[in-house]
Amino acid sequence: MTAVPKVFSVKTTPKEILEKWYRLMTLGRAIDEKAPNYLKQAIGWSYHAPYAGHDGIQLAIGQTFEKEIDHIFLYYRDLLTALSCGMTAEEIILNGISKATDPTSGGRHMSNHFAKPAWHIHNVSSLTGNHTLHAVGVARAIKYYGEKAVSISVQGESSLSEGYVYEAINGASKEKLPVIFCIQDNGFGISVPKKDQTANRKVANNFTGFKNLLIIHCNGKDVFDSMNAMHEAKRHALETGMPVMVQANCIRIHSHSNSDRHELYRSEEERNYVQDYDPLFKFKRMLIRYERFTLEELEKIENEAKIELKEAHKLALKAPDPDPNTYLDFVLPEPYKPLKYVDGTHQETGEKKKLITGLNETLKAEFRNNPDTFMWGQDMANKDKGGIFNVSKGLQQEFGPKRVFNAPIAEDFIVGTANGMSRYSEKIRIVIEGAEFADYFWPAMEQYVDSSHDYWRSNGQFTPNVTIRLASGGYIGGGLYHSQNIEGSLTSIPGVRIVYPSFADDAAGLLRTAIRSRGLTMFMEPKALYNDPKAATVIPDDFEVPFGKARIRRDGEDLVMITYGNTTHMCLEAAERLSKEGISVEVIDLRSLIPLDKNTILNSVKRIGKVIVVHEDKVHAGFGAEITSIIMEDAFEYLDGPVKRIGSTFTPVGFHRSFERMILPNTEKIYNTAKEVVAY
Amino acid sequence: MNKIGIFYSFKSTKTAKAAEKIKEAFGPDFNIVPVNAEELTEELFLSFTNLILGVPTWFDGELPNYWDEFVPALEDLNLNGKTIAIFGLGNQVEYPENFGDAVGIMAELVQERGARLIALTSAEGYHYESSKALVDGEFCGLILDQESQPRLSKERIENWVNDLKAQFN
Repeated sequence: MTAVPKVFSVKTTPKEILEKWYRLMTLGRAIDEKAPNYLKQAIGWSYHAPYAGHDGIQLAIGQTFEKEIDHIFLYYRDLLTALSCGMTAEEIILNGISKATDPTSGGRHMSNHFAKPAWHIHNVSSLTGNHTLHAVGVARAIKYYGEKAVSISVQGESSLSEGYVYEAINGASKEKLPVIFCIQDNGFGISVPKKDQTANRKVANNFTGFKNLLIIHCNGKDVFDSMNAMHEAKRHALETGMPVMVQANCIRIHSHSNSDRHELYRSEEERNYVQDYDPLFKFKRMLIRYERFTLEELEKIENEAKIELKEAHKLALKAPDPDPNTYLDFVLPEPYKPLKYVDGTHQETGEKKKLITGLNETLKAEFRNNPDTFMWGQDMANKDKGGIFNVSKGLQQEFGPKRVFNAPIAEDFIVGTANGMSRYSEKIRIVIEGAEFADYFWPAMEQYVDSSHDYWRSNGQFTPNVTIRLASGGYIGGGLYHSQNIEGSLTSIPGVRIVYPSFADDAAGLLRTAIRSRGLTMFMEPKALYNDPKAATVIPDDFEVPFGKARIRRDGEDLVMITYGNTTHMCLEAAERLSKEGISVEVIDLRSLIPLDKNTILNSVKRIGKVIVVHEDKVHAGFGAEITSIIMEDAFEYLDGPVKRIGSTFTPVGFHRSFERMILPNTEKIYNTAKEVVAY
Repeated sequence: MNKIGIFYSFKSTKTAKAAEKIKEAFGPDFNIVPVNAEELTEELFLSFTNLILGVPTWFDGELPNYWDEFVPALEDLNLNGKTIAIFGLGNQVEYPENFGDAVGIMAELVQERGARLIALTSAEGYHYESSKALVDGEFCGLILDQESQPRLSKERIENWVNDLKAQFN
């Protein structure tokens, strides 16, 4: 047990500080108790997780936070923490009743999710503990830039059951980062008691084996114990740069939320037991007992809090509602717009370079261009090795281990800390290898999905400026886990640009644009083409390719093939073979899936009338289904035959080469289907 | 024999019952004075030379709020010349990491201020993981577990009170 110095006590803490605390606690509790009324009156606040019973630690966390210097990530029960951080009662209510001026999200995010990004009170997900990785990521930036600040991740004890929370704590321990993990332990995850979460009632002690991590236990119901614990935690994090975990024992006086009824699973005796230990009443009793305040003085503060709440309520009710017509705003930020290569083509001649060389040289050029560019991933940098396929070879040597480094084998950590680090400053650009192979990206999906709606959810206040690189696809005899395409699953998620080049120049140009853009880009690399001469091209040194601009790789009149990635080359081979039979085929390389160049697709379809859609991913619910539907909806009357799709079968990709040949598309399959369609 | 103050919350159920059993075990020859720990003052506390404190463990190893609120006062008291014994309820099955912690917390507080702590007990027969009440292989007071060992409480109280009778001035 760590001995925490008693800096604060009821007898010695200056009266004006005690008054501030009591005012905050009284006001906070008044809002907490009023919140359900908004729902009863059909005004809003349909999600409310009361904080009563967490009063001591929430006050202390907020008092420890220094706005615009520290970074803090609150969870959905942190009403008093938000107030104690400096947010006003009006701002709290604006979030509760989802007004346009709600500082968290302008009514886009759930109620009871309090944030003020301008102060570094970050907008977080509802997914419990998801922001732990963000807190670690932003702490990485605090350390890199040498700032005297801490990152604070606040969460309930049940969140420690999540694997990604383990990843976050492991990362903070390994990298020695100034993060304070504040665990508010009220004994329940909704209705699930702690004994069903973990064997250890003192959940923080599950982490005693981590190096560099100081663990402090405190009574989260007690103001002074909580203040002393948080004060010591911050002192330690600032002075040593090391992480701290504070486990605050709290009680949950009410149900989990207004959709929960705790009388269904808690005995009356237990409910009375926790009610008896109301932290606010305890604080009040102590202030009177030790003659720091008279009852009359405290009642005056209580009355003033009531008046403040009343005024805040009136102002919040008058605030405008969000304009629903803005629903399309902030899905994706405006990307970097190439000025020289406006349509992403060039006429440069000279020596051809491989796709892998294009990526490697572009990464180096962008790292030279922007000193606030960082990269990490698995196998990213170890002596002469640079990435599993050596795409990042030489980067760590040139830019150093603080900008280019290995990540643990923890995909969610890789993505989540990228999101977090980019919160530190708009100038930062991050490139990550999301996983060794696209097939291994699934553990990162919770961070991917969460990051996808950061921009929308925060009402445009934050977007992760991150490029996720993934080596994708088959044709290398890799079988399951080394051959899959995953874009069909990803394209249904709004908020991320997805690109999938086929040639070296487009790969280089799209990567440059992705790194220079705000927002999240999924950059899929057809690994079978890294060193394939057929993907090699001349690459202008400053080449850029705009998002959402397809490239017609071959002109034609009888059939149009719409494709991307590995299959672009198969389509070109099939087109060449068909040309010898007098069939003229146009090949569109989409390059970007999101945003999609509908104009180029529809122009060709309307002119030619016959079309096949080809990709390596599964036909079943693949991205080709979306393209086909767009054609059916917008160009049906121009079609002279059915739109056929070619892709892999609705199976995994097998390891033996014969399985791969059966399952994946190839030139022959494309050729045969093209002949069928042309025959209409 | 001086009067002996037995301090416990009159609002409590199990602790109050244990306090009554302790008083009964002393028999009529001892002047056992019940004191409500919910209404404690420094003067009241200091008015006794011999004290028995009823300190159950709350939540994950905490003092009950009425004792916790008295701690700032207690920290400034001189307890030289006081003889103190502590009992408390704990739950070794559901809270094995903090079994009887509050007894240990209170024992440390009063000893640091000069009190003589008496009536330590054997830790044998209990099954738990850790306890702040365990000092040098013994509990620094009587720990009763009405949740998982209620049948042992009667004998434990009788043995403890016998020890107290011998040790109180």
